[in-house]
Amino acid sequence: MNVLVKLEITRALRNKKYLFFTVLYPAALFLMLGGTLDGTTKVMGTELTMPAFYMVAMASFGALTAVLMGNSERIAKEREQGWVRQLRLTALPGRGYVLAKTASAGVLSLPAILAVFAVAAAVKDVRFDAWQWFALVGAIWAGSLVFAALGVAIGYLASGDTVRPVTMLFYFGLSILGGLWMPTANFPQWLQDICAWLPTHAYAALGQAIELGNAPHARDVAILAVYFVLFTGAAAWLYRKDSLKA
Amino acid sequence: MTTTTAARAAQPTTDPAVSFENVTKSYGTVRAVDGLSLALHPGETVALLGPNGAGKSSTLDLLLGLRPADSGSVRLFGTTPREAVAAGRVGAMLQSGGLMEDVTVREIVALGCALHPRPYPVDEVLTRASLTDIAGRKVNKLSGGQEQRVRFALATAGHCDLIVLDEPTTGMDVTSRQAFWATMRDQADQGRTVLFATHYLEEADAVADRVLVLHQGRLLADGTAAEIKARAGARKIAFDLDGADPVDEQLLRALPGLTRFERHGATVRLQSADADETVHALFALGIRPRNLEVAGLGLEQAFIALTEEASK
Repeated sequence: MNVLVKLEITRALRNKKYLFFTVLYPAALFLMLGGTLDGTTKVMGTELTMPAFYMVAMASFGALTAVLMGNSERIAKEREQGWVRQLRLTALPGRGYVLAKTASAGVLSLPAILAVFAVAAAVKDVRFDAWQWFALVGAIWAGSLVFAALGVAIGYLASGDTVRPVTMLFYFGLSILGGLWMPTANFPQWLQDICAWLPTHAYAALGQAIELGNAPHARDVAILAVYFVLFTGAAAWLYRKDSLKA
Repeated sequence: MTTTTAARAAQPTTDPAVSFENVTKSYGTVRAVDGLSLALHPGETVALLGPNGAGKSSTLDLLLGLRPADSGSVRLFGTTPREAVAAGRVGAMLQSGGLMEDVTVREIVALGCALHPRPYPVDEVLTRASLTDIAGRKVNKLSGGQEQRVRFALATAGHCDLIVLDEPTTGMDVTSRQAFWATMRDQADQGRTVLFATHYLEEADAVADRVLVLHQGRLLADGTAAEIKARAGARKIAFDLDGADPVDEQLLRALPGLTRFERHGATVRLQSADADETVHALFALGIRPRNLEVAGLGLEQAFIALTEEASK
């Protein structure tokens, strides 16, 4: 299975489009969105400066992109092309395929996170304690597992033709409503009430709490845990259903 | 046909390589596999024949554990298909098997070797599948025949005991096809069980030492190619009637052993399960057939005769 993970990573690194959207795009977006404001203005509804807010938002967004896109679209396409079927003729255990996809997407989400952090520290002078940097990387990386599971579920739910629009719906919906692109404090109250329960909102909140020097809130961790169980359950159910169809 | 099975059953062999016991599989209202029972023994090279929709692909899917049977049991070497596949005992090449994109031929073959519990060296696998020259090429830039060779390489990436091939030579030219079967014969000589589904009946005739004919999800015939031909009305008889010698067609149709009767003017074409008896009776009618020919049927004609008969 290690060979499969390695090969998945190799081929992802060869795919320039995927690399651009996962590694460079979030860092570039950070510069665009967070670059216009100075480092002292506090973001509405938070105690964070604009660059600090957007650093976590874009790192989370980058990790989300890597795992969601990496899983959903490739699984749906490879299911249709019969590669999944081909793999089932090998000694690789059934779950091995999904685990390898998730592991490789996980490996690729790391440079996305680090790229945003590097740009933030170098260009916008974002400064934190060493433990905060490590905690940020750890929290954002671990949190991305929730969306890796969602990616697997979508990959087994959608066909090769419909997977892109379905993924985009989740991708943009969760990114915008979860406050990864802009603070949700600008939204009407009723929408904010909904947003507060989204996994992406809790995901960004992990990093924001660390930036403020706190541990992530139990409520956010709990929300993410529930979504993880939900998405993993859906992925497992859809995977089993698909494997009966060959 | 029964004799060979009985002879084999008498041997105290180990578990059969493949065993189906009363296996049924339906898709909606369509019964793709209908109470199928069969056993393949180690070392046999077996062809699986059947018209489109006969249940060949479904049978292979069940055999490889890609789909579960509705009822009955499928065992490979005494274990479940998935266990046998996980143990690396089965190498399979399916038509529908897709390949990983954005990787080279060598990389995907190396993956196949790495996933196998008892792999062969990558170079050896590449050579055997005639892929050495294109080892550096991207998998998504291959021709149909080359892709087929990559699938073959994946199926033979390691030491296995059963090789399952679904229409393996589709898309190959004549030379590749011959080279392919030479490799397969090698594999069989090393004691492996080879099961292949094919549309090319001459391949079945030339390569298989046992032929299974599947029709509407059932096993229609099971024996050597020669036995299948015999069973289908193995011989064709053709002759011309003497115009001066009027014959009652009913008498001809009543000849013993006939499985098929055709008459075009003076020319009569028959197929018979027992040509000796038929010709003898023909002369006994007092007819003097001219240009009499008695010849064996090809497997293809035998196959058509068998399935047509079963469809009636």
